[in-house]
Amino acid sequence: MSADEPLLSVRDLTTSFRTDAGTLTAVDGVDFDVGEAETVCIVGESGSGKTVATESVTRIVKEPPGQVEGEVLFRGQDLLSMPESELRAIRGNNIAHIFQNPQDALNHCFTVGWQIVEAIKVHQNVPDKEARAKAIDLLDEVGIANPSERFEDYPHEFSGGQKQRVMIAMALVGNPDLLIADEPTTALDVTVQAQILKLLNRLQDEYGMGILFVTHDLGVVAEIADRIVVMYSGKVMERGGVYDIFERPAHPYTQALMKCLPGRGDTTTGIGGSLPDPTNPPDGCRFAPRCEHAVQDCQIGDQPEEVDIGDDHAVSCVYYRTGYDSSVVADETMGTGTETDQEGPADD
Amino acid sequence: MATQKPDRFDEVNWDEFSGSNRFNFSVNTIGMLLTSIPWLALGYYNYEFVGPREATFGFVNNGTTLTNLDFIFGFTLLLFFFYLVLPLYQNPRMTRYYWKEFKRNRPAVVSLVWLGIVFAGGLLGPLFIKTPTQDIFAGYQPPVYASIDSAYVSRCLGEVRAGQCYGTWQYPLGTTRGGEGVFKTIIHGMTISMKIAFITTTIVAIIGISFGTVSAYAGGWVDEILMRLVDIVLSFPTLLFFIMILYVYGAGLAMFILVFAAFAWGGMARYVRSKALSVSEEEFVKATRISGASPYRIVRRHIVPNTASSIVTQLTLLIPGFILAEAQLAFLGLGDSSIPSWGQLIAAGRDPIDFAPWIVLAPGFVLFLTILAFNFVGDALLDALNPETEAEAEK
Repeated sequence: MSADEPLLSVRDLTTSFRTDAGTLTAVDGVDFDVGEAETVCIVGESGSGKTVATESVTRIVKEPPGQVEGEVLFRGQDLLSMPESELRAIRGNNIAHIFQNPQDALNHCFTVGWQIVEAIKVHQNVPDKEARAKAIDLLDEVGIANPSERFEDYPHEFSGGQKQRVMIAMALVGNPDLLIADEPTTALDVTVQAQILKLLNRLQDEYGMGILFVTHDLGVVAEIADRIVVMYSGKVMERGGVYDIFERPAHPYTQALMKCLPGRGDTTTGIGGSLPDPTNPPDGCRFAPRCEHAVQDCQIGDQPEEVDIGDDHAVSCVYYRTGYDSSVVADETMGTGTETDQEGPADD
Repeated sequence: MATQKPDRFDEVNWDEFSGSNRFNFSVNTIGMLLTSIPWLALGYYNYEFVGPREATFGFVNNGTTLTNLDFIFGFTLLLFFFYLVLPLYQNPRMTRYYWKEFKRNRPAVVSLVWLGIVFAGGLLGPLFIKTPTQDIFAGYQPPVYASIDSAYVSRCLGEVRAGQCYGTWQYPLGTTRGGEGVFKTIIHGMTISMKIAFITTTIVAIIGISFGTVSAYAGGWVDEILMRLVDIVLSFPTLLFFIMILYVYGAGLAMFILVFAAFAWGGMARYVRSKALSVSEEEFVKATRISGASPYRIVRRHIVPNTASSIVTQLTLLIPGFILAEAQLAFLGLGDSSIPSWGQLIAAGRDPIDFAPWIVLAPGFVLFLTILAFNFVGDALLDALNPETEAEAEK
């Protein structure tokens, strides 16, 4: 294993579901990497396949009707070709998940402490007493006051933010190398969101874990991300470092997302139109039907190949191919507000 | 590599993990094993080496005869103790909460007391009260304070006044034609009703819960096959089958319990499946799966506990059906005539009903109260155990 090999390397990940209306391809040939102790955000609007992509990583997508293809290398081992029993030892141990709705993710029949102990015992053969002590430590670690008293409480006695803290504590039981966080702050109000993000940042420093963070909230992305993967309709539109994407979003879709952010640009606007039918996606660029710059080339063939526009920043748009004038779309770049550099991002 | 973790997952010995937790039993399981293994071993010894008419503990010479059914009954009692009563004790906070909810229903509390009496009477009664025996000369004795025309009794044990025979405390509830004490028979009938209740419940619960949860969690063709099997079981003419068995093998109580329990779990399986299906769609099941738990663990630790409230309620409503079925069959003369069950007693009172109504009334009343009590308790349990009512209020 080489030193620069990423912690998680996803190649050509395709997840499809067989439905009555035909085969629905939720994730269509997606590549991304997560390095050690790095935070990668998958961004996109609802229905663009972000959640399915992360659930495909540990193959918890229901099969059938789902089908996961491609390659997911975690520390060099392919998770997709691994038998279920070995995968179970990785889930929750090396790769942990937290979810959007902490109130649903906790079993309301049992005390919070019981559930953390249960999570510990799935992977570690420890005596009850030790598991209990560890659970209390973890509750303390994630910032629950009076952990030994709260241990005996039931989920409904916790607030939303506290439940998410408990979920994070449960995720930490195996000292994970990778934490997959699927919109963990979406169900929480803004002040609690900030606390949870802070907590995740602190834990990342402490545990040195990689985080794969799914969100549609660009404000959250700015808080936490090192790198960003922009997804739309099961395809990657653009990827790059957080500063590159925020300062010079290259893909028209990314630019449109940026325009949706309050406080950026003159007025906040929505993106016209809606996501294409996932059972029958359009030819060419998936975003072409909603893109104001779409030309004929955008509507033929497959999703355009990703073009590297420098600094590990890649974009899947025909305007960045040779022979096109990328400034047509680059002119739309919003900048960060303080940023005055409006030059074309790439010269072909 | 940025992490300092010593145990990288590719260096982990997987065998260590697959073997973990296998011998990490809870107190309940240890208690269950420690008590049930000797008990079942004794049962096997009794079945294999002791003759049908010999006393089980012939070597201590106290004359106790235990049947195979008694051993099964004892086993189910142990199961209930270690997996129902003990957990309630271990979790005092929830027990207090359940009790608070339960006692809001007054009739149910009274019913619970009544069921407690029936249970205690059925369990301890036979230890102190001998099996009722025939005594031709003591036939048709009336209950205490009641009287009967002396013409009906061959020999009045109480005082005779104005041609009326009065009852005595020797037979508080009178006697049957054969001179068997009605009170004694009712006490022994409690044992039989408790056996029916506990053994059928255990069989129905085990088969129903396994079929229901496996079917719901596995899905696909497993679900299809199991549910079609349930359809067959549900449409099976149990009564006709039992009557047929009765003509071939005779109608023992054990046979009754076995046949009726073996064809009664269908509804239970369907019910549990529908509950488990909705539970397994819950986010926390996904969260548990994602945390690496095995399907068995998910079903055992998360799906079954979450359906438990409905299962318990369903079972309490199923038990009276069995007790009633036994009484009905006994009344029709299709029951086990060698046992002192309530149904047998009611059947014995059928002919002399116009002059000795207590033979029908006493067991009939006890039967009625017991059935009613189960229904009340089931109703109150439904309100007390259902976590959804609280969860809804939370939202």
